[in-house]
Amino acid sequence: MSDGAEELLQIRRFLKERLQRDYTTFRGHDTERENIRQLLQRTAEMAESNSLLLIGPRGVGKTTLINAVLTDLLNNPDFIQNTLVVHLNGYLHTDDKLALKSITIQMQLENACDGKVFGSFAENLAFLLECLKAGDKRSKSVVVILEEFDLFCAHHNQTLLYNLFDVSQSAQAPICILGLTCRLDVIELLEKRVKSRFSHRQIFLFPNADDFSEFVKLFETLLKIPNERELKKHAERVASLKLLQSDQLTFHQNHYDPGKYKFNKRITDRWNKHIDALLQQNNVRQALQSLFDYDVSEAGLKIFIYRLVAQLQNHPGRTQVTSEQITQLISSYNNDTKVEILCGLSILEMCLIISMKHHSEIYDRDPFNFEIIYARFNKFAKVSTGMQNIERGVVLKAFEHLRNLELILPIASCASKVQKEFEMHKLALTYGQIHQAVQRYQVLPTEVTQWSQSSLI
Amino acid sequence: KRVAVGTPKRNIHMSNIVEEMIFDKQDVLSTPKLKSKRSLAFGKEKDIEKILLEVTPKKPVEETPKRVQRSNSKYVKDSETPKTPSQKLKMIRSGELTPSFKEREGIEHSKLSKNDLQLARERLHVSVVPLSLPCREKEFENIYTFLEGKINDKCGGCMYISGVPGTGKTATVTGVIRALQKQVQEDMLPAFDYLEINGMRLTEPRQAYVHIYRQLTGKTVAWEHAHALLEKRFMTAAPRRITTVLIVDELDILCNRRQDVVYNLLDWPTKTAACLVVVTIANTMDLPERVLMGKVTSRLGLTRLTFQPYTHKQLQEIVTGRLVAAVSGDARRALDICRRATEIADSSKGKEICVNILHVQQALSEMIASAKVQAIKRCSRLEQILLQAIAAEVTRTGVEETYFMGVYTQFESIANFMGGILVPNTGQVLRLCSKLGAERLIICEHTRNDIFQKILLNVSTDDIHYALRVIPEA
Repeated sequence: MSDGAEELLQIRRFLKERLQRDYTTFRGHDTERENIRQLLQRTAEMAESNSLLLIGPRGVGKTTLINAVLTDLLNNPDFIQNTLVVHLNGYLHTDDKLALKSITIQMQLENACDGKVFGSFAENLAFLLECLKAGDKRSKSVVVILEEFDLFCAHHNQTLLYNLFDVSQSAQAPICILGLTCRLDVIELLEKRVKSRFSHRQIFLFPNADDFSEFVKLFETLLKIPNERELKKHAERVASLKLLQSDQLTFHQNHYDPGKYKFNKRITDRWNKHIDALLQQNNVRQALQSLFDYDVSEAGLKIFIYRLVAQLQNHPGRTQVTSEQITQLISSYNNDTKVEILCGLSILEMCLIISMKHHSEIYDRDPFNFEIIYARFNKFAKVSTGMQNIERGVVLKAFEHLRNLELILPIASCASKVQKEFEMHKLALTYGQIHQAVQRYQVLPTEVTQWSQSSLI
Repeated sequence: KRVAVGTPKRNIHMSNIVEEMIFDKQDVLSTPKLKSKRSLAFGKEKDIEKILLEVTPKKPVEETPKRVQRSNSKYVKDSETPKTPSQKLKMIRSGELTPSFKEREGIEHSKLSKNDLQLARERLHVSVVPLSLPCREKEFENIYTFLEGKINDKCGGCMYISGVPGTGKTATVTGVIRALQKQVQEDMLPAFDYLEINGMRLTEPRQAYVHIYRQLTGKTVAWEHAHALLEKRFMTAAPRRITTVLIVDELDILCNRRQDVVYNLLDWPTKTAACLVVVTIANTMDLPERVLMGKVTSRLGLTRLTFQPYTHKQLQEIVTGRLVAAVSGDARRALDICRRATEIADSSKGKEICVNILHVQQALSEMIASAKVQAIKRCSRLEQILLQAIAAEVTRTGVEETYFMGVYTQFESIANFMGGILVPNTGQVLRLCSKLGAERLIICEHTRNDIFQKILLNVSTDDIHYALRVIPEA
């Protein structure tokens, strides 16, 4: 028994690690991958200067693609010896000054020392450009990876982009600029002289949205345990990452290591067979289809599987992924969080929400203030049995609570000098959500339920 | 009173340094020799000044550190390579340490191993500027005669060159300079100094002074100091002064609100002592009238030249000049397309090594393709419905700008109409909105506005209909 528990623990750890920390496995998109690989290879071997933009929606695997290509090229000794990889991110390097310091450090120029750069911004730029100018076909090639490329376009005058692209288009040190972004219209953000210097190579990376069977297959590969030979092949690939001696590309430091795992063949067979059987079931396919309808990206699927795998435990009935778990998890995706917040409100707050709904229905979503809602609530409270002597201060507190939960939003244009009872608000809920909440609320008094259906008392 | 006596003396002294350096540089470009020569000269002066110093106490605090620095750097040079980075920085600033780049370790691919397509690709690279630019002979002639005249007559002047990016402005000007330098070598023309700055390579307009001064002397100083020294150089007459040609690329970046930098750059040529010829390059034809102040425009003068965009035929000539023809207004663009076409031809492993029209077409469609239709096709089903809902809401209201609430109502009805779809709640649809917003298929406000956010379509409704009609039938 304890042996089985040990195995299960190992399976769970393996699957989790592979889901989270496998930064270099990229599936599909062979033409795009080959294209980028050749481009980088030519930069390294022939000392050609190039520029490229990789565009695709979030979660499609742009960074993974670059990592995978770099891993492929690690087998090529030419590439390791003759290239410097410079890695910049638009969220970290928020202006040209920071980006330039980072480039200077990563290229190990002479005015950098142990991660510290000397001199002012202007001096750094001048020195970097002179260094690049001093280089020629015989100098090492530089691969500059610009993640969140669209944010670099927002820098002052686009100085950094101009200079990088200008180097790539003149007889200087060989340089390859790879921009990664999710904006389709990123070219329009470039200034015209920067645009003219860019080589207009764009590679679009779109998820495979037409084919549901591919999605199911991906689900299968992410859940199944590979056999020994595949594991070994992976382990070799991961081991080669050690060659990558970059401080900036940190993905190799914490990469998942399949070499650590060894599975009993009998157990993996049973596990994989169970997954096969699972995928034959209709409700599983339906659940996956609804996930596929919502989000086609691999990242979304990985998060879903992670949650699924995390449920594995050494209890009877929990040692395998079951179809109930899948359908349950999918249906939890469809829970409306706002309805859940509403169900956690007190009855007084619920009454205020209902007053707001009546007001909005009557006046076609006109804004309201506390006084309006209080008057409407009072009309109801007077005739109700349980709400008669609630003080005004208590109601105001409940109103403020609703405001803090952002179920009601203040109108921004409103002057700030207005007293809080008179400040105008709008209701950030649809009527359907309120209706659902009234239905699902535990022990709501009948009179409130009735009142919610009609504003007439 | 003492200060008043001291200041002019120092000024003269400074301008002397500048002059001396420039003349020395013309002869030989060997730094150590220059160094020793100057330090000798300084030795004499030092003695004189020492005597002066004793007479006038507590004055030249500024001069002492300078001399200390010089002797210090000399000491470093004589002994060993510097150890600390701050010493290195000092050497960079004084121009003694030339910037270098790491060399490759492997052997470079020899020319022999390259096939024809690879050679073609190399020749098609934008960085390979030919010795004579095709289709720009008239402009070349124009600039050449202008500069030649100014250099021969030893007078200053300005020229303004404009044209859209990629029309060969900078390449032509540098070509002219190269031709002139060749003339100088053959003693057909008096010698001249050549300086160039690029507005986009500066972090700030005032850095222009620093760059000009560094090209003159090799030293990096603060801009105020550089400005003062340049002012001295161009304002005071010197007997052996030769003409200086200054190329200013991307002039519009140098225009700040005060426009002092542009003013100074264009004011110096008007001084008889300066012997300065300034050639300015920018993209817009009417930049002087639109941006620059009256006094700057008047100094810029009327010597102007416009580079027209290349016509179809000229581009063909450029490409065949290097090789093979394309369609675009920009020479860089045309060359990049050709280069991509050779890559495609290379990877398609054609037996006969040549680029056919299909390759060019593929390269062209890759480079000027709009991916929006493709992006819509590859969205998830609910995202597609959301796009349809926004299009429907635009049609219903007749206004471009829609609100999330209206869109959500449309979304519900379309999803119900299609059947078989669990209608997602507002939170999920908001997430879809921000995802499409990140891709810029739609433009939407921050999600904090919740169900009141405004949504704008960034693709045409025709694109949506086109992209989505094709799928269900296929």
